[in-house]
Amino acid sequence: MRSFLRPVERCRPLLGTFVRIRVEGLLPDRANEAIDAAFDAIAVIHRLMSFREAGSDVFRLNHKACREPVTIDAHTQGVLRRAIALSEISDGIFDITVAPELVARRMLPAPEHAPVPDADGSWRDIVFLKDHTIAFQRPLWIDLGGIAKGYAVDCAISALQTFSPARVCVNAGGDLRVAGIGSERIQLVPDDYNEDVAMFAEVENGSIASSCGRMAKRSCGAEEAGAHVDPRGDSGDGIWRFASVVAQDCVDADALTKVVMATGEKSASILAAYGACAQIYDRRFGWNNIGKSS
Amino acid sequence: MKVQFLLLPAALMLTEPSQAAVYLSVAQAQQVMFPGRTFTQDFRVISDAQAASIERKSGVSVPGRQLKTWRVAGGGWFIADEVTGDHEFIPFALALDEHGAVKSVEILEYREYVGGEVRNPKWLAQFKGKKDGVSLELTKDIQNISGATLSSQHITEGIHRLLASYAVVLAPR
Repeated sequence: MRSFLRPVERCRPLLGTFVRIRVEGLLPDRANEAIDAAFDAIAVIHRLMSFREAGSDVFRLNHKACREPVTIDAHTQGVLRRAIALSEISDGIFDITVAPELVARRMLPAPEHAPVPDADGSWRDIVFLKDHTIAFQRPLWIDLGGIAKGYAVDCAISALQTFSPARVCVNAGGDLRVAGIGSERIQLVPDDYNEDVAMFAEVENGSIASSCGRMAKRSCGAEEAGAHVDPRGDSGDGIWRFASVVAQDCVDADALTKVVMATGEKSASILAAYGACAQIYDRRFGWNNIGKSS
Repeated sequence: MKVQFLLLPAALMLTEPSQAAVYLSVAQAQQVMFPGRTFTQDFRVISDAQAASIERKSGVSVPGRQLKTWRVAGGGWFIADEVTGDHEFIPFALALDEHGAVKSVEILEYREYVGGEVRNPKWLAQFKGKKDGVSLELTKDIQNISGATLSSQHITEGIHRLLASYAVVLAPR
């Protein structure tokens, strides 16, 4: 049954974008309390996983983990484990150690006083020593920009669900998750889109994330157009593409967009392993569905 | 999880222009950001010298000369302001604690820009008269867009400007 209470929706600037949270089926005060808790959950993830902020887990790892073990939060550990699992299954197409590329492209600021990263370093050099403790086998710069936003959305949804709302939607600049009764219709909008048809995803109890940009030589990391790179270098520079991935968890949808950006239709088996599906768009071939939608 | 993809004529999307989402009024934002507190309006006019000082401190130009400020009973400030983005105008509210540190930020209204909207009159003409029958269903509930990430950099700059405004205009009293 759809709630008769008016939805409460708020928006805050977080994670470098606009995060909108909508709650249905709660009285306004309770809805605002739930939204406050969800924004707080996102702010925690932002602080832990920021590349820039001194004191974040990512900052400490980049500065110290090649010299000594670094203790990190359970959230960061969870995201690192997911990132590495996707690196394994994608054979390094998804790789959080590409931050030096992004710094070179001025998409991230160079971490001051951090050891110079090893050019041959990769996700394989990240070692879990024991619970919550990480070391790097050589100097690396990791960036969780390609996965942490989706994870933050999942954390916000968990925070909201403790208030038992009828329906919620958390949208972090287009990476979003819906939970509860009924589906959410989302328009997929590539940059400079100029076609006579519009693509929509109707998602129920699931997540969607999108990426748009031009492929370049190494792998992926940040969200900005042009931040997507193919580590194999065989798709060549200059192939422009848009990808939206639908998955149960937003962390997976967010991370998988990078794999779909890099490999297009060849990502079908990886998507299947995550129970995910995708829409890609390019200007020559238009829209194309990858994987099974249910 | 369930998902269904739908490819629809874009022209139908234009029959209902996108509207700004209004999240909070100023009064609602005050109650959300400082629950249960009372507010005293204390608007200020920024002088030329103060504007120059704010710009020096924040590195952000001062677009208007009015500072819409409320004093919060028990300490703290509430400021309503706006920034101009690439395609939009975004009103927001900033809550400062009694020491002038950021307590929270809320966006009051936001209109999401949809790039590449189809503006082909010939194509549109095909759908004339279908609006009531077809488009209402097609355009229902499209509150979300997934595409290139929107940057909130303008808001960050707006907050820097207001923190400098606090230091120059409000704190000295």
